[in-house]
Amino acid sequence: MIKLAVYGKGGIGKSTCTSNLSAALAGLGKKVIQIGCDPKADSTINLLHGDAVTPVMDYMRIHDEEPDRIEAITKTGFGGVVCIETGGPTPGLGCAGRGIITTFSLLEELELFEKIKPDAVLYDVLGDVVCGGFAAPIREGYAEQVLIVTSGEKMALYAANNINTAVKNFEDRSYARVRGVILNRRNVADEEQKVRSFAESSGLEITADIPRSDDIIKYEDMGMTCVEGDPGCETSKRFLELAKRLIEEDEKNG
Amino acid sequence: MKNVSRILPCYAADTSGVCSALYELGGMTVIHDASGCNSTYTTHDEPRWYDRRSMVFISALTEMDAIMGNDERLISDTVAAAKDLSPGFIALCGSPMPMMTGVDFDAIACEVEARSGIRTFGFHTNGTRHYTEGVSEALEAVLREYAAEMPKAEGIGVNVLGLTPLDFPLGADDSINSWLRNNGFVPVADLAMGSTLEDIKKAASAKVDLVVSSSGLAAAEYMLERFGINYVTGIPVGGRFGSELAENIRQAASATDHGCVFSQGMGFDENTDSGSTVIIGEGIASMSLARALGSELGMDCTVICPLGADDLVFRGAAKDITSEEEIEAYLGKTLPKTVIADPLYSYVVPEGTRHISLPHLAFSGRSYKNEIKDLVNTDIKELFK
Repeated sequence: MIKLAVYGKGGIGKSTCTSNLSAALAGLGKKVIQIGCDPKADSTINLLHGDAVTPVMDYMRIHDEEPDRIEAITKTGFGGVVCIETGGPTPGLGCAGRGIITTFSLLEELELFEKIKPDAVLYDVLGDVVCGGFAAPIREGYAEQVLIVTSGEKMALYAANNINTAVKNFEDRSYARVRGVILNRRNVADEEQKVRSFAESSGLEITADIPRSDDIIKYEDMGMTCVEGDPGCETSKRFLELAKRLIEEDEKNG
Repeated sequence: MKNVSRILPCYAADTSGVCSALYELGGMTVIHDASGCNSTYTTHDEPRWYDRRSMVFISALTEMDAIMGNDERLISDTVAAAKDLSPGFIALCGSPMPMMTGVDFDAIACEVEARSGIRTFGFHTNGTRHYTEGVSEALEAVLREYAAEMPKAEGIGVNVLGLTPLDFPLGADDSINSWLRNNGFVPVADLAMGSTLEDIKKAASAKVDLVVSSSGLAAAEYMLERFGINYVTGIPVGGRFGSELAENIRQAASATDHGCVFSQGMGFDENTDSGSTVIIGEGIASMSLARALGSELGMDCTVICPLGADDLVFRGAAKDITSEEEIEAYLGKTLPKTVIADPLYSYVVPEGTRHISLPHLAFSGRSYKNEIKDLVNTDIKELFK
């Protein structure tokens, strides 16, 4: 099974990349679960044509109890992708990291993986690994690989380096390893060189190179991923290539 | 407010369950906590604390360690202590604060094991669940780790699973083993009172597992799945029920189709509210007593299991009533002639109902330690007439 967590600086395009990758994997016939791990709860919105799923924390806030069935906190989106959002506390209050851990325990109790039997699970995680809760997706049993989304912008590379260091700190814990970098281009000067230089100095590869494209915005305005809107466009092709590569590697690793 | 207790105490926590289950096995148990769980455990839940040494420690978690996620202090202190004490294994268990900060005990156990070279278990306790969950997780873990495939013992070898001082008086291991021998069985390992890690390594040489509390069910299920050992649930209380239990063990030993679980429902049909006697307590103990009182004294008993009535065994035969509010309402509605329960339940026993005291360490701690009854090899007619 492909078990992947996507990290990166806030606003860098993690949800866009994750959703397009989910859509690409689904388009290639795989059963996919995407779990948004961000209090904003907007990771899966473009897989659902804007018809958002109830975040787990919202469910618990409204009902004052845990859901007793998986259907209460999932929605099926494009290509059969099962969409889940952890959600989080009211902004400025509570503990969002704890919310992620609680959600994961709940998904385990509800036997999400046993019931859905996915070929791929993608975790879309908020910004930096700021506390234990945001490292939960890379703990043993969850994601096995991490993809870091970055552009050539200084702060994006700074965050990427922090994330890489944080994940490396967990090497003795059987946590996920950083698989590589998704270069999500913003068309800044010397972008490729800057990202390549970071990747090389960190011992990472650039796993995918996503061009700056108006297609992404165009289809997001329509509530869908680029892969759904136009599978033939250059951006979609890049996500499909990445998906094919991940599938091949997964099959090779048995 | 359903789960709030106004009068009744809560049962011992999962943390105490882990410590109690591992107490005699030669390991080192570390509770990751500021100190509260440890003092609750040693003061209330562990009758062996002052008479028998065991390596149970706390990490002395500080506010700054919690904020900073400083797992390193727990890891290095544990490794240093292990180097001094050379325990057979290390067990790490959590409490409420690590639960809130999301400490990953599996990962920390990995690190401790890598640095100390000593097998380390990370247990998923958080101090808010019942002791049965902690005992259950600990017993299953030691069997998974140490029980190895081996030839069967001569005769009918029996393991006793779910035996801790939280549910049984000290010396209960001797009583049960003597009952086993008197019925022609061979005691192999008692998990976990009166046995060593060496005994546990031989557990797969048994032909049957006798599950004496719900805390032993997960271990029994593992032994069934891994080694094909059938299990029987029940405590040998009273001559007649004891004979039935012994017969069940013989049948389980000779059964050709592995996967048989004997004593399911423990002979009860769907529980009704007709019982003139209500027994409140741990499920397997209470069901065994109910059966024994039924056959020896003709008493019609209803069982309330506040720790949760596991469907696997009880099949609806015990009342799955868990909160103070529900217990009080049930007793108030049915007005039984007699309630058999820990002395602290007296606060919810209706006026006019006789309360026979049956102290349970996991409920009232050491308050009634000297009055805890060993029901095995005992004339229950005398006790409950």
